[in-house]
Amino acid sequence: MPAGWHHGASRVTTSLTDIAPPPVPEKGLDVWFVGSRSALFWLALKSGFWTVLTLGFYRFWMKTRLRRWYWSSIRPGGHPLEYVGDPWEKLLGFFIAVVILTFYIGIVNLLLMFVSFSLFQSSFVGYSASFLGVIPVWFYAQYRARRYVLARTRWRGVRFGLEKGAWGYAWRALVHWLITICSLGLLWPRMTFWLEKYKTDRTYFGSAKLVQGGRWPMLYRAAIPFAVAVLMSGLIVVWLVWLDPLIPNSANPFGDIFSELESAEEFGFALFGWDRPMRLLLLIPASVLLIYGAVHYRFVTKRILADHKHSDGVRLHSSLNGLRVSMIYVLGTTIAYSILVVGLLAIVLLVFGLLGPEAFLDEQLGMGDPLGDFPKWLAIGIIAVSYLSLFLFWGVLHHVFVTFPLMRHMALTLSLHNVAGLAQVSQRARDEFAEAEGFAEALDLGAAI
Amino acid sequence: MTTPPNLPEASDGLSGNGRVYSGLNSSYFDGDAPVSHAVTLLVDNVAQVLEIGLPGSAQPGVRWPVDEIRQLDDTAGSEGVILRWTGDPLARLHLADPDLLRHLPHLNRRAPPKGRGRLAAWALAAVAGVAIQIGILVPLLADRLATFVPPAGERALGEATFEQIREALADTGLPPLNTCDNEDGLAALEAMLTGLGVERGTEDAVKVFVLDHEMVNAFALPGGYVVFFRGMIDAAISPNEIAAVMAHEVGHVENRDPTRHALRSAGSIGILGLLFGDFAGGAAVLFLTEQLISASYSQGAESGADEYAYVALEDAEVSPAALGDMFERLRDKYGDTDGIVSHFVSHPTLTSRIDRSRAVVREGAQYGDIISADDWDALKAVCD
Repeated sequence: MPAGWHHGASRVTTSLTDIAPPPVPEKGLDVWFVGSRSALFWLALKSGFWTVLTLGFYRFWMKTRLRRWYWSSIRPGGHPLEYVGDPWEKLLGFFIAVVILTFYIGIVNLLLMFVSFSLFQSSFVGYSASFLGVIPVWFYAQYRARRYVLARTRWRGVRFGLEKGAWGYAWRALVHWLITICSLGLLWPRMTFWLEKYKTDRTYFGSAKLVQGGRWPMLYRAAIPFAVAVLMSGLIVVWLVWLDPLIPNSANPFGDIFSELESAEEFGFALFGWDRPMRLLLLIPASVLLIYGAVHYRFVTKRILADHKHSDGVRLHSSLNGLRVSMIYVLGTTIAYSILVVGLLAIVLLVFGLLGPEAFLDEQLGMGDPLGDFPKWLAIGIIAVSYLSLFLFWGVLHHVFVTFPLMRHMALTLSLHNVAGLAQVSQRARDEFAEAEGFAEALDLGAAI
Repeated sequence: MTTPPNLPEASDGLSGNGRVYSGLNSSYFDGDAPVSHAVTLLVDNVAQVLEIGLPGSAQPGVRWPVDEIRQLDDTAGSEGVILRWTGDPLARLHLADPDLLRHLPHLNRRAPPKGRGRLAAWALAAVAGVAIQIGILVPLLADRLATFVPPAGERALGEATFEQIREALADTGLPPLNTCDNEDGLAALEAMLTGLGVERGTEDAVKVFVLDHEMVNAFALPGGYVVFFRGMIDAAISPNEIAAVMAHEVGHVENRDPTRHALRSAGSIGILGLLFGDFAGGAAVLFLTEQLISASYSQGAESGADEYAYVALEDAEVSPAALGDMFERLRDKYGDTDGIVSHFVSHPTLTSRIDRSRAVVREGAQYGDIISADDWDALKAVCD
């Protein structure tokens, strides 16, 4: 809690006669994080359970409740953020998006398939065009969702906000991606920087405008681990394929290795003929390093960018630790998966115990169908419920072991320096935003929270 | 909590029925500036208001009616609560002392959702939009476009779908389901096609395959693919029944039903994926496969294919009742819902279709068999 106030008042005053001196501006604010893992687990489990029971309709409430919880955990200067989004407006937004997108997706897909089959005699062109066509809408939806979430976030009673500009973001994102792909990824930091700058420069806290400072080359240092990982993988591949080939005396070393890797049965035999196949194990540390490099880039760029964000009289500072974040990712995902696998095994054993081992044997031999005696709807029902429960459980575990520690680390490592400017901030008008994050919801974006 | 016990009641005459609570560590936000205000708290039992005094601030205090104060839901952390007043959407009181809460009777009362009419209107629009799209617009467009797909495109579509079905029916990890290729058996099928007067020898001609699977079914795919399952041939007791089913499937091909169906599902699947989201995205894929296998056409398309079959059978001097015989045997054997569901068996108006096929039989006409007994034996052994 903020200290430094004078708390001698036992006398109640509803009107003040003497004008007090202006409060002394705070020097800086740390961000606290108060939520506990078990509280989150029960909230996620409870709301996920309702989501399954209502065939997915409760997901708007689930999302709202989880966001309220996460937001209220994050407390810059001891005062929680507040999420004021409403599940009903999300539902409305979803309906609006469905009305608009059904016509787009249904009719456009049909026409694309028609053209694809008529002119190219294959479905591939149609599917690709259909996928490419959704990409701009995807960026558009991403920006709109961010605008909605910021507009429904408050701190100390003051709203955040994002200016309009979703189509501007969509075409910029497309161009940046094109440049990045054409430069074989070398200009990726440039894209990261400019897209973040576009969003940050349109972000407000009350009347205060946020500015993204810095230059894009500063992000290259975040890419070092990934570059090292790529270089290392490249060297290993060159060594195994050309310098000291796995398959001695082959005319087309690369093609041969891949064709043998493709057919798993031959692969087992082929290994014996290969030259020191244990060298393939080197690819394991290389891929671990690649994953680390990717996570490191994603989060360390966030740190560098945060350090260069400021508003009039307020500066942000982040001391996020890339290694720590990668550990959270890897460990969290591993823990969540392990628990899921143990749970699955328990279910399989249960079925084994109930139906007996013969059911599995028959299934393997193609002699019988363990669900064959059940009415079809019951079998489908059981499969659907297991599928949805699995989905639910995975979501809950992901929240508890990945999202929670990530949010906590990001919150705790963030601080506001020089907050004198806060006293000048005043409220901004409400951003009505009828369609909420309906497009993002319909296109399955931002599934995390 | 580090707060001291309740402070003594106010004795300064401000309110005789007031009760003072500690404002220590609590703060008030006025919803305009992000500045924390220290507070003094008093519950007035007579006026039923919470008086929030703001010492050290230029603003006067505020009075919140106790029954209009709500607590924020789903707040993390165990210390303190955040209160709001329904009359002011922005102001917040961060309360450290939970003792005060017992004076606030409706902390968790919810407001009815705003704009219910609008919500209902859009919900209706969404449902209607999807229904119109899947029920009317997509079929209409698909029917129109199906006639414009060039034969080469149809063949490619049929070929791709045929491969998908063969892979879906094979067990995982095994090569696609075999087609039966006994030469005498295929020659018998060829004779049957010629007997039915189906165009042969051109690129657009109907192509017939037999899949080695016990399912009792047959289906048509775009580009003139007619596919029988071995189970269908095993279930028939005369070649005329196979000829009747073949004529029916050729009828679908002639009417371009499979192409329409493929275009329709291309339009509809995307919409279903959109509706269910990642929550059940996988289900949409399952649905697609299910649709491919048990391709069920509209009632109109089925009777259209039946009519085509009656004429073809009549011209081949085979009794159209063979189609009804085949349907009847399938229905008696498998019932309407149980076992392996073929689109013949599951069709609700099967009985009327059986009756119809018998009604078109001409009185006193001489009907024969479509192929010789030897050919029929060869056809039965097509998968051996």
